[in-house]
Amino acid sequence: MISPIEVSNLTKRFGKTIAVNDLSFSVPQGQVTAFLGSNGAGKTTTIQTLLNLHRPSEGNACLFGVNTRKLGPEQLQKIGYVSENMELPLWMTVKQFMNYSRPFYPSWDDAFAAQLLEEFQLPLDRKLKNLSRGMRMKAALVGGIAYRPGLVILDEPFSGLDPLVRDEFIRGLLRLTGEEGWTVFLSSHDIEEVERLADRVILIDSGKKKLDEPVPELLAKCRIVEVNCSEPPPEIEVPDSWMGYRQVGRAVSFGVSDSDDSLEGAVRAALPQVQKFATREMSLREVFVMMAEKFRLEK
Amino acid sequence: MLPFSIQLRPGKPVFDQLVEAFHRALASGQLRDGDGFPSVRSLSRELKISPTTAHKVVAHLKDRGFLVSQPGVGMLVTAPNLPGKTERLALIKPELNSLIRQARDLSLSAEELKEFLDQLWDGENDKTRKS
Repeated sequence: MISPIEVSNLTKRFGKTIAVNDLSFSVPQGQVTAFLGSNGAGKTTTIQTLLNLHRPSEGNACLFGVNTRKLGPEQLQKIGYVSENMELPLWMTVKQFMNYSRPFYPSWDDAFAAQLLEEFQLPLDRKLKNLSRGMRMKAALVGGIAYRPGLVILDEPFSGLDPLVRDEFIRGLLRLTGEEGWTVFLSSHDIEEVERLADRVILIDSGKKKLDEPVPELLAKCRIVEVNCSEPPPEIEVPDSWMGYRQVGRAVSFGVSDSDDSLEGAVRAALPQVQKFATREMSLREVFVMMAEKFRLEK
Repeated sequence: MLPFSIQLRPGKPVFDQLVEAFHRALASGQLRDGDGFPSVRSLSRELKISPTTAHKVVAHLKDRGFLVSQPGVGMLVTAPNLPGKTERLALIKPELNSLIRQARDLSLSAEELKEFLDQLWDGENDKTRKS
C-alpha cells in the first residue's frame, strides 16, 4: 500500500540556511503521527514543503505516491491542511467561508460540516476577523475536513487554544478518523496532548531526524535512572547514551532512551559503591526535554 | 462519559492503562456481565486517544472473550462472575511492589509493614461500618 506521506532525503535551503537537512520518513496509513521538535527545528518548513508551498532544494516528498512538485486537484481534495498561521479570508462570515470553500471540493459533505459547526458552536453570521483565535482555528478545521480528506495535516493546531476549545477541536478531529481510517500528521508543542493522541512520534532537530518510533515502544524504553552511592562518586567518563547526567553529593541521575535488563549492571560497573538503584517511567514531555537538551549540548 | 473510571497519566502506554482500567472495573463491579461497552469511536473521542489505540484495546478484549459485538446493540461486556482471587490480587500487585520498595527504603521490616497494614485495615473497616 502507498503510504500517505513519504519523505526521502528532503533538504530545503533558504539562502545559506539549511532548514531541513536530508530528512526521510514515512507516515503510516490510518494512524496519528506527531511531528515534534523545538522552535526552529524545521517542522513548519517540512510541512509547507509537503503541501508544495515550498519546493525541495534536494530530495523528494510524495503524498499518496505523487511528488509534491506535481500535486494537483486530485490529491489536494484528499488532503486537509490547518495551520496556526494560515491566512483565512477574514472579511468573510463563517457561513460565507463555508460557501467559499465548498466549490473547491467535490466531496464536500454539507451535513458533516453543519454537524461540526454546531458542535463547535460557531456563530455563522460572525466575520472571521471578529472571532477569537480558538474559534478561528475551529472554523479552519471545519473548512479543512468537511470534504472528508482522508489525510489531515495540522501545523501547531492547538497553540493558543484554551483547554475546553482544544478538547472540542481534538474530538472533532477524532470524530471521523476512527470510522474512516483517516491519517493524521500533526506538529505540536502540546506534548501532554500528543502523548495520548499519537500512535507514532517523529522528532527532528536542526532539520534532521532524531527519532521515529511508535509511542508505546518509545515509552517502554525511556527511563530516568536514580542512583545513590555510599560515597560521593568520582567523576566518570559518562557513556553517550546517559543523557542529562547530573551528580549532587552521593546522588546521580540521568535519562536513557534504550533501557533494558543490562542497565543496572552497566551502572554498577561504572559507578563504585552503588547503594540504591532505581528507575522510573518518563512521560513523553520528559523524553522531549531530555533529547532537546542533548541536541543543544551537541551543537 | 465512559461507564468506568479511568484517568490517563503520562509515562505509561495508553493501551496498557486502558486494559488495566477495564479489568479493575470488572473486579470492582463497575462493569458487569451484559453491560454495554463504548465503541472504538467513543473511546477515542472521550479519552482523546488515537482510534488505532482504541481499536487495539477493543480487539484485545474481544480476543480474550471479555467483549462481544451484538448487531444493532453495540458492544457488550461478557464477564465471568467476580474474577478469581489471583486476578484480583494481580491488579494491586504494582502498587504493593512499590509499597514494598518504599518500606525497604525506610528500613521497615515485613513484619512492621504487615502490622501497620492490619491496623489500617481495621480502621477502614470501622469507618465503613459507621457510615
